Amino acid sequence: MFLQTLITGLSIGGIYSLMAVGYSLVFSVLNFSNFAHGAVIMLGAYVGLALATRFSLGLGLVLAGSVAGAGIIAVINERLAYSSLRRRKAPSLYLMISAMGCSVFLENMVYATIGSRFYAFPEFFGRQVVNLWGSSLSLLDLSAFLFSILAIWALHLFIGRTKTGIAIRAGVSDMTMCSLMGVDLDRLISVVFLLAGGFAGIAGVFLGIKYLVYPTMGWVTNKAYIAAVIGGLGSLPGALAGGLILGVVETFVSTYVSSVMRDVFSFSLLIAFLVMRPDGLFGRSGEEKV
Amino acid sequence: MDYILSIVILGGINMVAVLGLSIFTGFTGLFSLGHAAFVAVGAYTSAILTYYYYVNYYLALAAGAVAAGAVSLIIGAPTLRAKLRSDYFAIAVLGFGEALRVLLENLEITNGARGLPGIDSFTTLPVVLTCLVGGVLVARNFLRSRWGAACIAIREDHVAAETAGVRLFRTRLLSLVVSAVYCGLSGGLLAHFLSFIQPQMFTLVQSTQLLAAVIAGGMGSLSGPLIASFVFIALPEALRVAQMWRLVAYGLLLVLIMVFRPQGLLGYSELSSLFRRGVVREGERRL
Amino acid sequence: MNGSRALLSVSCLTKDFGGIRAVDSLSFDVEEGSITGIIGPNGAGKTTVFNLVTGLCRPTSGTVRFRGAEIGGRRPDAIVREGIARTFQNIRLFNRRTCLDNVLTPFFQRERCSFTGALLGLPGARRLERELADRAHSLLRTLGLEEYARSEAGTLPYGLQRKLEIARALATEPSLLLLDEPAAGMNPEETLRLAGLITEVREKFAITILLIEHHMDLVMNICSPIVVINFGALLATGAPDEIRENPEVVAAYLGAGRGR
Repeated sequence: MFLQTLITGLSIGGIYSLMAVGYSLVFSVLNFSNFAHGAVIMLGAYVGLALATRFSLGLGLVLAGSVAGAGIIAVINERLAYSSLRRRKAPSLYLMISAMGCSVFLENMVYATIGSRFYAFPEFFGRQVVNLWGSSLSLLDLSAFLFSILAIWALHLFIGRTKTGIAIRAGVSDMTMCSLMGVDLDRLISVVFLLAGGFAGIAGVFLGIKYLVYPTMGWVTNKAYIAAVIGGLGSLPGALAGGLILGVVETFVSTYVSSVMRDVFSFSLLIAFLVMRPDGLFGRSGEEKV
Repeated sequence: MDYILSIVILGGINMVAVLGLSIFTGFTGLFSLGHAAFVAVGAYTSAILTYYYYVNYYLALAAGAVAAGAVSLIIGAPTLRAKLRSDYFAIAVLGFGEALRVLLENLEITNGARGLPGIDSFTTLPVVLTCLVGGVLVARNFLRSRWGAACIAIREDHVAAETAGVRLFRTRLLSLVVSAVYCGLSGGLLAHFLSFIQPQMFTLVQSTQLLAAVIAGGMGSLSGPLIASFVFIALPEALRVAQMWRLVAYGLLLVLIMVFRPQGLLGYSELSSLFRRGVVREGERRL
Repeated sequence: MNGSRALLSVSCLTKDFGGIRAVDSLSFDVEEGSITGIIGPNGAGKTTVFNLVTGLCRPTSGTVRFRGAEIGGRRPDAIVREGIARTFQNIRLFNRRTCLDNVLTPFFQRERCSFTGALLGLPGARRLERELADRAHSLLRTLGLEEYARSEAGTLPYGLQRKLEIARALATEPSLLLLDEPAAGMNPEETLRLAGLITEVREKFAITILLIEHHMDLVMNICSPIVVINFGALLATGAPDEIRENPEVVAAYLGAGRGR
């Protein structure tokens, strides 16, 4: 029971981490909370769903397709809703409002056009279990967890080793300096959103496989924001840690205490962190330049 | 006739909540996706008091408003501290909304997800109008006062505000509590007008409507959001627009306004000043 | 360095931002009633010193004493209440508020007001509002800004915006006024008028002034003593003549832009 709960927790935690990573990536570079992230996740799920059902593609291609699809959607989202605000150096309040507008628009467009029906992915994993250490663990959960870790590891390598990755890290420190050094800011930001969207796509597909696909599924992302705060806003290792911790602890609470109290618990955890350790586990305390 | 009356009352009730959010977002510059939660607290508190305990309606309204204010302290105290950015509050209030909904759906006294029917319909047009007019006057006085000046200073430049002597944390918290009280009052009025409330009535959808009214009406204005909120209630009813399309429109509107005309309809000015000056101020606005 | 007890006393003040040492064990005093100048090449840490004094960042080590009391690390609004006010290098006005409201806000924050009285619009509250508005008008008049009282601060020409920022700082009724590059972007004529304004302000309001500047004519003209900072550390301090002749100061400034 314990091991099963742990693996389930890690699996949902992995999904939270994927969502939190996308959100933190944008936050650390552009310094605002992209509340449209949930909508991109939802669209990624629908893209994956279409590929899986209409075109009967296998899991690998479905993931690839939704990564690409969600990535492109995220870039378009940035171009249309944020780029002019960014250029005007609008306060982050405006960006958040625009993000919220996008989210509401996209969700309800899906609602109005595709409909509110809950859709299921084809059974990629079935009910297969893996027998490990005396417990039957869901293959889906294991795979989701491992894949999340792999994806985040790959991102870590990308950011650490490639030229673009280094440019991103530079942008996190100082955008103006970055552009003065000759980095094409618009292109860099598009890359960031492409990455964030890609992760959203993966998260969406896994969420869709584990549960169902429906227009308001993006609101699970609230958990990702909480995870990002716990791990430290803007920190990628923080997003991973926060997501996993939140997922695991939540699942334990849900299993051993009460599944109803799960959301109340997450909220309380958030408040506890904000009171005791607002920078989260890995956050850097940013002092504003005056 | 009755139908038009109910639209007017609903519009008025909405306007009270919008006044609150206007103070918090329009005048203090803080972002909230969750003020519907405060409306819920006000609605349920006042409904429970009149339904189970036969408390006097006006007392119940007041209690609902106060309860909403008190609850907002729970969210505001950890998240509005001077060193924390407003993103933290936004995330917390979202989380709170979910937690509240779960609680409402699972407590005995709120009758769970089925909702609370049979609430006495004490809310009449005179009541709503009194609350609205009173609310506008109090809001206007608040904004003219020392605390209102502090709120607006924070919106303009919170660093400069501190060097002008403004206490960042206290002012933000005060702004939140005041806005929550308005929303709580609105909730109480709503519960006793519809005679029925359930948790699904107080979700992101409602928070979006409130925010859309504030943004479309114009940040930094009281009359703008009041006009917008009434239009947002009345127009869709008149055109018989389905809920989801309204939201599509709100979402699109928010983005378009932020990109093309962030000051909305009457940003940083009031309807009265238009008449005084006799000409609408055009031209570029500094963001 | 100090004969009478210094109004502001900075001692071994150090500030690190991650790996960068912005202020390095800096010590200097500001005498009451003086107009003290801080000069140094760009990036020398001058604004950081202001931020440390006014509470916008915490010292890594060292002390900042105002009237003998430690103020390092305290909140900005608390320091303002102690009596230190400042202006900013990049003007930070309440742009969409009127000039009157810009100046009124600090006056308001200093008053004990009744909350319910204000909300209900009681006569007492109204009277207070009128009184403060009068004081705000009179402050604007002293600085020659009265005709702009009802104009939006953001619409004012640059030079007047700087004056307005000074007016707002004065509305906090400080004993010490910190001016961060008040002459930035001004031509020689405006700079001369500013110099006159600063000395006039010192007389009229009986305050001490600490000023960061790059315009050497302004600094040499009205400041004494002058503190020179380079790479966050004290390079020299003394009267204008001494500083002008100091070879190290001259060397530090070579190639680093003359007065704009």
